[in-house]
Amino acid sequence: MGATDALVLAGAAAIVAGTLAAGFRGFSRAGLAWQSVGVALFGVAGGWVLASGHAVGAGFRGDVHAAFGIDGLSGFFLLVIAVVGAPAALFARDALGADGPGRSLAVATGVFLLALVGFVCARDVSTFLGFWELMTLVPAAVILLARQDREARHGVFVYLAITHIGGAGVWVSMLVLVQHGALGGHPLGGGLAAFVACASLAGFSTKAGLMPLHSWLPRAHPLAPAHISALMSGVMIKLALYGLIRVLFQWLAPPGLWVGITLIAIGVLSCLGGVLYALMAHELKRLLAFHSIENVGIVALGLGASLVFRDTGQPAWSAIAFAAALLHALNHALFKGLLFLGAGAFSRAVGGLELDRLGGLLRRMPWTGWAFALGAMAIAGLPPLNGFVSEWLTLQSLLHLGVASHLGVALTGAVATAALAGTAALAAYCFVKVIGLVLLGSPRRPECAEANEVPVGMRASMVFLAGACVVLGVLPALLVPTLAGLGPGHVTLQTGAALNVPGTGSLPTVALAVALVVIVGVLVRLASGRRAAPAPTWVCGHPSAAGLAWSSAGFTKPLRLVLEVLFRTRREVQVSTSAGVVQSVTYRAEVPHLFDTLLYGPVSHAALSAAVLARRLQSGSLRAYLLYLLVLLGVVLALARTGVLG
Amino acid sequence: MSAATLIAGVVQVAGGVLGAPAIAGLIQQLKARLQGRRGPSILQPYRELARLWGKSGVAPEPHTLIYTLAPAVVAACTLLALALLPIGEHAPDWGLGHDSLVLVGLLALARFAVTLAAWDTAGGFGLMGAARDLMFSVFVEGLLLLVLVLLALPLHSTDLLSMSHAATLSAVWPEPAHWAAAAAFCLVILAETGRQPVDNPDTHLELTMVHEGPLLEYAGRDLAYLQWSAAARHWMMLVLGCELLIPHPGPFAAQLAVLAGGLLVLSAALAVCETVQAKMRVLRVPLLLGFGSVLCLLGLASWFAGGGG
Repeated sequence: MGATDALVLAGAAAIVAGTLAAGFRGFSRAGLAWQSVGVALFGVAGGWVLASGHAVGAGFRGDVHAAFGIDGLSGFFLLVIAVVGAPAALFARDALGADGPGRSLAVATGVFLLALVGFVCARDVSTFLGFWELMTLVPAAVILLARQDREARHGVFVYLAITHIGGAGVWVSMLVLVQHGALGGHPLGGGLAAFVACASLAGFSTKAGLMPLHSWLPRAHPLAPAHISALMSGVMIKLALYGLIRVLFQWLAPPGLWVGITLIAIGVLSCLGGVLYALMAHELKRLLAFHSIENVGIVALGLGASLVFRDTGQPAWSAIAFAAALLHALNHALFKGLLFLGAGAFSRAVGGLELDRLGGLLRRMPWTGWAFALGAMAIAGLPPLNGFVSEWLTLQSLLHLGVASHLGVALTGAVATAALAGTAALAAYCFVKVIGLVLLGSPRRPECAEANEVPVGMRASMVFLAGACVVLGVLPALLVPTLAGLGPGHVTLQTGAALNVPGTGSLPTVALAVALVVIVGVLVRLASGRRAAPAPTWVCGHPSAAGLAWSSAGFTKPLRLVLEVLFRTRREVQVSTSAGVVQSVTYRAEVPHLFDTLLYGPVSHAALSAAVLARRLQSGSLRAYLLYLLVLLGVVLALARTGVLG
Repeated sequence: MSAATLIAGVVQVAGGVLGAPAIAGLIQQLKARLQGRRGPSILQPYRELARLWGKSGVAPEPHTLIYTLAPAVVAACTLLALALLPIGEHAPDWGLGHDSLVLVGLLALARFAVTLAAWDTAGGFGLMGAARDLMFSVFVEGLLLLVLVLLALPLHSTDLLSMSHAATLSAVWPEPAHWAAAAAFCLVILAETGRQPVDNPDTHLELTMVHEGPLLEYAGRDLAYLQWSAAARHWMMLVLGCELLIPHPGPFAAQLAVLAGGLLVLSAALAVCETVQAKMRVLRVPLLLGFGSVLCLLGLASWFAGGGG
């Protein structure tokens, strides 16, 4: 038994032990610590497999006997699970109470971690689909354990309904694949490949939260406790992309250029749609959930570009685009995990997370605040953090799609490039708003003025994630060549202080970061001389009134007006006058979620109408049912007589 | 290091750090002449920077470290971006590479810092400018990337050096794609430097400011950093315009002459544009930039329709 096997077994044992222990009174904190250690061991094993390139355990098999194993791709996704799972469990250790619901949540956390790990290690169709379902069901149970109100129940219902209707595509595609032996090493080709590609796109993209089948995500993610939200947004939706990668890159023979183009189109829709609705969201966790849609969209852009490059005979860029997608998946897991944990910390300190009722938290909670600000900068795609590196690689891939092919592909690439650049700018817009409203300015309600920093375990997990964002931002070149080796195509990239990608001016991450820090340090030192006595911010000599402070809606108003045609804001103004004098004005505005009003609304209406029609058949009268039977019998006899039934 | 690279390095640093305010002064001077005024001297921006350097900073209430760091971050980003610029088709290797998307990222970081500082002091006027600036940036970045796609067409590279090398290959652009890119880049220059019709750099009316708005709470050396950065961004955009979009074949001396001439012509063009154009409604700016995007896509289509160079 090799060292990796031992690590994996120890990790599994630690998670199982932690899950069982968490159920006992007084052991839930220790149990979560064990879970954290266990998932970290899995991460080490995954990282080892990724770095060494030697797969362990079974390979994929075409039968239905349970089998487990780790290859490079699984190893990478184990790493993704571990970098979020370990800090999340540590966070939960301090965040969850030791009472009944807290203990149940601690157990559920362990089961969720096992499901995530099991899914990427599954090597046959039955365990693959089994863990897939478990991964879907556990968060629903967690939400119902944590909250029993009507909104939560409805959110869970929508989550389960959409992920199961859309997820049917996963079952269909997996069963077809296994029936034709694709898992056993013979990629499926022919007309059936197109069918499987469509089914898997629908199925996995539902679970990944890609538009237009995303509607469950902004409902379900904000409801869960912070550490489960972090796991759902950071890891669970990435594992759907893992499934998609397995199907599209390994188990299917290339069905044609249209698959890649479709994936790029879905990616453009998701990243723009996600970030635009995030800008219009005024509650922190809902806003973060919409950003998850944006970021899986960016990963989808990378994967789509990789497919198109593969099919147009550019192996080097195919590998680079694939590495870009994987790197962005890891980066998003890091910063989105960090941001959700930060939201949990704020929620613990001050209660509600309405953006307009926070403010000034950076001074009260410096650890959480600065870690959260770093995460926000990373997700906004700013140098020298990790979000910039993966967005740079994705942008380069799309841009090279635009220059080196024929017209249709080039236009797709150019439009996607512009869309991703716009997305990055919109994300920066959004997180300027978030940092400003949550961390800066004056406290907007008394709780914020008296907020206390969270316990050390919660702080440590956030600081770890923020540190990882910085490290991956400065040293991505250690990881990118390995990731490029996992994809289709082939490219030789150097490991070093800079990301030297052919066809670009290179991204010297270390030099940029060092230069930035040194120059900023020198300039701040030069400017730090005399300062005048503190004085209030200047607002034309008026005292600054709290009611006049900028709100989330106000800051995004220019964009809302420019894109009025997309947002279709509903405004209600009520002016009450008495004797010709205006007494009061009330104003309400809301941005409806267009997908709900234009897509999901009509569909659910149609389904309900169909149900009403079907109900007419069920009169409850025995005579009517007998009549149905008689008619059916007559029809069958008639068919048999005409020979249709053989 | 060859002599050409050395000279390019000197132009990069000396031009960007010391010469940039002169461009701003030159535009002001030309504009004043066109409007029948005598106007301030070309050296006026230097005098203002010197005056600000001697003054003390302010400490508005409330503020955090972000307010203190922002001007230095903006200046540092601008300085690093200057080091990426090609001069002629040369540039010294500062170890930072010469990638155009890195330059876009640095500009985005500078914008992020300055708009965040507006939130830090939470002043009404600063945030008004910040919100508008960020709204513009969405469309500007999209358009700028499309221009870069067109510029990467000949040599399949986003390296600024190879892009400027592509501009030495012929005396006149043979492809409509380049003309489309040039037209679209002019719109990027207007928006990115905050010139009319996008923004009025001379205004001191708080309600109409865009780029100047978030600077309201600063004084002293902090403000000097920010004003120098604004001037250097002018310089950077104009140099990029000259080096990537004006063909400059021939020896290095001729390329430098083209750069000097191009800077003068573009400055004069900005002055004329500012004199004859009124400021546009804020909400119509995206339409203007959207027009540029359509132009770029048409340019791209023409490239591939013509056989892909």
